[in-house]
Amino acid sequence: MTSATLPAVASASTKPSAVRPGRILLYVVLIIGALLMITPFLWMVLTAFKSELEILKFSWLPGELRWSNFSEAMQTAPFLRYFRNSALIAIGETAFTLLICTTAGYALAKMPLKGGKWLLGYFIVLLLVPFQIILVPLFMIVKSIPLFGGNNILGQGGIGWLNSWWGLIIPLGAAPFFTFLARQFFVSLPDELAQAARVDGLGEFGIFWRIMTPLIKPALITIAVFQIEAAWNGFLWPLMITTSDEMRPLQLGLAIFSQNPAEIQWPYLMAGTALATLPMIILFVFAQKRFVEGMANVGIKG
Amino acid sequence: MSTTLERPALAASGKSAVAKDKGTLTRSQVRTGWALLTPALLHSGIFIVIPVVAVLVLSLTDYSFGDTWSWVGFGNYSDLFGDVDFQAALWHTVLYALIVIPISMALSLAVAIGLNQKIRGIGFFRTAFYIPTVTATVAVATIWLWIYNPGSGLANGFLSLFGFAPNRWLADPNTALGSLMVVGIWQGLGTKIIIYLAALQGVSRDLLESADIDGASRWQKFRNVTLPALGPVQFFVLITSIVGTFQVFDLVYVMTRGGPGSETRVLVLDIYQNAFQDLKLGYASAETVIMMIVIAVFIGVGRLLQRADTND
Repeated sequence: MTSATLPAVASASTKPSAVRPGRILLYVVLIIGALLMITPFLWMVLTAFKSELEILKFSWLPGELRWSNFSEAMQTAPFLRYFRNSALIAIGETAFTLLICTTAGYALAKMPLKGGKWLLGYFIVLLLVPFQIILVPLFMIVKSIPLFGGNNILGQGGIGWLNSWWGLIIPLGAAPFFTFLARQFFVSLPDELAQAARVDGLGEFGIFWRIMTPLIKPALITIAVFQIEAAWNGFLWPLMITTSDEMRPLQLGLAIFSQNPAEIQWPYLMAGTALATLPMIILFVFAQKRFVEGMANVGIKG
Repeated sequence: MSTTLERPALAASGKSAVAKDKGTLTRSQVRTGWALLTPALLHSGIFIVIPVVAVLVLSLTDYSFGDTWSWVGFGNYSDLFGDVDFQAALWHTVLYALIVIPISMALSLAVAIGLNQKIRGIGFFRTAFYIPTVTATVAVATIWLWIYNPGSGLANGFLSLFGFAPNRWLADPNTALGSLMVVGIWQGLGTKIIIYLAALQGVSRDLLESADIDGASRWQKFRNVTLPALGPVQFFVLITSIVGTFQVFDLVYVMTRGGPGSETRVLVLDIYQNAFQDLKLGYASAETVIMMIVIAVFIGVGRLLQRADTND
């Protein structure tokens, strides 16, 4: 036993003390990699401060910081409205997801349902269905939601949820991914807590709502953070179902803004892109741990 | 004698009481469970399961939003085989997946191994590599559209430092798809790095240490301890990468619209145009079904390759 542990200890103690060339190379490679990741964003911010004349030739730094580019970009397109719309969609989808997916996740994790394994398998299979595959029929279903948008009870005659907040929020909320994520977090809670609450006479729903759910608060934040990001960055679905600027989200606004390459005013476009990107970068910097935890949970335990 | 008789009787009656109690308990649990699960089942049924089934049915029709439609059997499918746009889209998507997936998996595993070496500033590196992933693809595409600008973009500016002639990137049929792949790889690294990093931290220290004792080289340790331990995670990353690359749309829509010519036309763009510009919903559905089949083939082959790799 001792003969086995000794070399390990010895090798462990020699490793960190010496500055080896391999270590320096590692840092150099990682720093170059990190720069490759960050430079495009830096280039975006630098361009946002430049004048129309400055961007005719390649240069790194702007001659002066034109903060006015940001306010002028806001006026060339209804960016403020796009912002509001994106925020509304993100909040709506997140609230809907938290409600639907935590309840379902809890039932899958803690309730003795017949065929519980099959139900879990069902959600895992759905998790693998790419959104692009259901694009066409989803559009038709949303178009024929009964009694909305001039539709009759059979879902015909009108536009249903097209061009509506319902259509933007409900179909894409509550993705199976989040039900699975919630289930993963509930599974790790000990059953004794629920038992103790049962002895105290609390009903099953009360146990879920007042005992178990508060315990997975970090998981709820993880789910919220992922859902906010997904909703904020969504593009294809809003592109399909909105027909007016009234409800268009930010990404759609950006894409419209950059549609005609010959007439793009790059400093304004980069200013708009920077403003659109900033909220998610801030969200990530503050909630880094949640992102990492969430990915790890799905990837590893999944 | 009497005691031995009594004991089982007691135990039995105690058991039945517990069982009865458990029975009512279970019943109320089952009721609550179904109540909690039903909204999610309804939602996924309406917005995922029905559409998946509907795509299969639609693909056999000539539906196009009108009042009349008819069954066309496999007509859409045979039409697709003669459709040059579809062929270009399928070929470009497959090529995109075949190049982007291996490169991004290898790069992200390498970076994750680097980050797993107890280095300083891990938070900084993690943020740097993950920021492209949290950024909307539309925003990423907009930034790179400007980087690839032939006149005064960063890409040509950077090349000119080394005396290279300017390139037309997205406008040049030879480089357009490759330029998109670079962005796809660049944006997709973050998620994979974080998953690999979490998995690497779960690789058994004992195994690595005993390999050390046996005098294994770094490569041998990686090949025989780390890589096999990453097996399930590799599969997860592979599947999500396959599904992700086949979905490529935002990038192409903003940066090239499938051009120049059809050089960067991909499947989802073709489906989108067939369905929502030409209103050929049945035709687009048939295209979707073929995409599903190709994704399934990719996943199957990927699985076989990984099995072969872990068995040797």
